[in-house]
Amino acid sequence: MSYLSISHITKQFGDTVVVDDFNLDIEKGEFVSFLGPSGCGKTTTLRMVAGFEIPTSGKILLDGADITNKAPNQRNVGMIFQSYALFPNMTVAQNIGFGLSVRKESKELIAQRVDEMISLINLEKHAHKYPYQLSGGQQQRVSLARALAIHPQVLLLDEPLSALDAKIRISLRAEIRAIQRKLGITAIFVTHDQEEALSISDRIVVMNSGLMEQVGTPFEIYNFPTTVFSANFVGTLNNASAEVVNPAKSLIAINGVQFESAVDLKGRKKGDKVRVAIRPERLSFASEQKKANVVDAVIENITFLGSVVRIQIKIGDTKFNMDTFNNPFLELPKIGSKEQVTCSREAVLVLDE
Amino acid sequence: MTNLPVPATVMVKRPATKNRLGSFLIFLVVSLYFLVPLAATFYWSLRGEKDVLGFEAYRKLFADTNFLPAFSESILNAVATIVLSLIIVVPTAYWVTLRLPKLRPIVEFITLLPFVIPAIVLVFGIIRLYSRPPLLLTATYDSSRFLLICVYVALSFPYMFRAVDNGLRAIDVRTLTEAAQSLGASWPTILFKVIFPNLRVALLSGALLTFAIVIGELTIALYMAQHTLGPYMANLTRSKVYEPSAMAIVAFAITWAAMGIIDFVGRGASRRAQMADTD
Ligand SMILES: Nc1ncnc2c1ncn2[C@@H]1O[C@H](COP(=O)(O)OP(=O)(O)OP(=O)(O)O)[C@@H](O)[C@H]1O
Ligand SMILES: [Mg+2]
Repeated sequence: MSYLSISHITKQFGDTVVVDDFNLDIEKGEFVSFLGPSGCGKTTTLRMVAGFEIPTSGKILLDGADITNKAPNQRNVGMIFQSYALFPNMTVAQNIGFGLSVRKESKELIAQRVDEMISLINLEKHAHKYPYQLSGGQQQRVSLARALAIHPQVLLLDEPLSALDAKIRISLRAEIRAIQRKLGITAIFVTHDQEEALSISDRIVVMNSGLMEQVGTPFEIYNFPTTVFSANFVGTLNNASAEVVNPAKSLIAINGVQFESAVDLKGRKKGDKVRVAIRPERLSFASEQKKANVVDAVIENITFLGSVVRIQIKIGDTKFNMDTFNNPFLELPKIGSKEQVTCSREAVLVLDE
Repeated sequence: MTNLPVPATVMVKRPATKNRLGSFLIFLVVSLYFLVPLAATFYWSLRGEKDVLGFEAYRKLFADTNFLPAFSESILNAVATIVLSLIIVVPTAYWVTLRLPKLRPIVEFITLLPFVIPAIVLVFGIIRLYSRPPLLLTATYDSSRFLLICVYVALSFPYMFRAVDNGLRAIDVRTLTEAAQSLGASWPTILFKVIFPNLRVALLSGALLTFAIVIGELTIALYMAQHTLGPYMANLTRSKVYEPSAMAIVAFAITWAAMGIIDFVGRGASRRAQMADTD
């Protein structure tokens, strides 16, 4: 029995199905991200766990108890909002103590817990400030402390970093993750930023228009996407339509150029149309003699992206991006020249449409 | 003198102007426009005694046995109106913002009705409706007074709703409510600990606008035979020369004191915050 179990949750607003048969079991202490484009139902799913929306059908169990229809203030769930949602009329300390004073805890206990939380987020100097006197990053840390002060069973974070600038976003996400690990708290983190999801999560749920596309560790999601959508949404990707040439040998052809894949194609017939995806960093110049997947390519363009150099190539009639790490000794080919490029069999992903 | 100056600009921030001289001129002209009549009234009010400038008119005004009862009755009416109006408007505006945003245009329209219906029409409609059973409220002075307060509550809606609505828009009501809920707060706790404190300035300005209307209201009070300040002033204007001016100055001073309170409360919040900043 998992700690938080979301089973067959569906949510409709009027006639529109916003979340469709969502199923997820989360272990205690796990950090799970919901990743997907705007409007795919991430927030709605999170709000059902928080109790702000009631599912049209399905069940939510938290530590064995059915909380599907419980009021939000009866659940022991911490919520972090994109807009921080600190109470403007209260100081940092009062904000953090709010949940405990609502629970009628003693003054001493509240003061002690508030101190504990304030040192957890390193804002000792700001305890008596009002929210408008803090930066966005500080405000979000206060909101984290406020949510954690009540010892919630689950911590829910709805795009908590979206309103912050890039530097703070990266440092604060590391801080959130460190605090979550330290306290061993179960967390669900909503984001539309794939890098954020990859860097912070134990597991990622990729969502698309109300449906779960794929669930897996960041490693699995990035390296073994199972659908076109999750392959495209996470990382950059070359993708092309192709035709099965030899199912037994896992051979496919992209516009007549043959590639060998590691994916088992026995279920398909010769001539079947499939979608093939290859990550840019999996392509490289064929330096030594490799057996599989060495193809001719024309160099079309070269772009510096800092640590990575992106080379646009054309294989047959199909354009591909090829990424290689930048270094001062890198020898780059001339634009227009012909080179041999290669990729491993594992790099050639065959996806469901 | 039924229209006291209304502190409608209290919540409005003045935008930065490039042309300082231009804005100064405008300020000057507008100031003169307001100050000259005020100064003239004040001067007139000081001439209660022949050939001497002094406060004779004020003395007479406060010595008039009808003045203080009328004044205190109006103040009590105003306070009752404010309390009732707050009880009706705040939860309504809160709920509309939180749960029924689609109803907002309708509620806005309803609160604006007192602007559209002339007071005279309103008062005759009310007298007709409430002067026979089962809704007989015009029979005694006190029941009429109750009815009058109810009418004032309706008159206060445009100001009160707008003020509260502005206040609610300035804070993210929905998210704050949800944050409080997820921390375990119940509805009363949310209203009294989170919503009301953040609406303080808005509630106060709504209350003071209401106060200003009720204190000087003439038409309805007159037709409902109430001995409030409005009818008293009207009567005074007819029979006296200097006292009405003194009365106007007194009313004006009260309004300014009220605006001072808004300002003080508003600034109190930021001063407290500054103190927190320095320690
Ligand atoms: N209360 C509501 N009534 C009607 N439709 C709603 C309501 N709340 C959300 N929706 C719809 O449900 C869909 C999913 O919304 P949701 O907020 O869950 O998306 P999201 O994945 O969080 O997107 P974003 O990244 O933009 O926050 C959207 O199309 C939205 O318009
Ligand atoms: Mg969202």
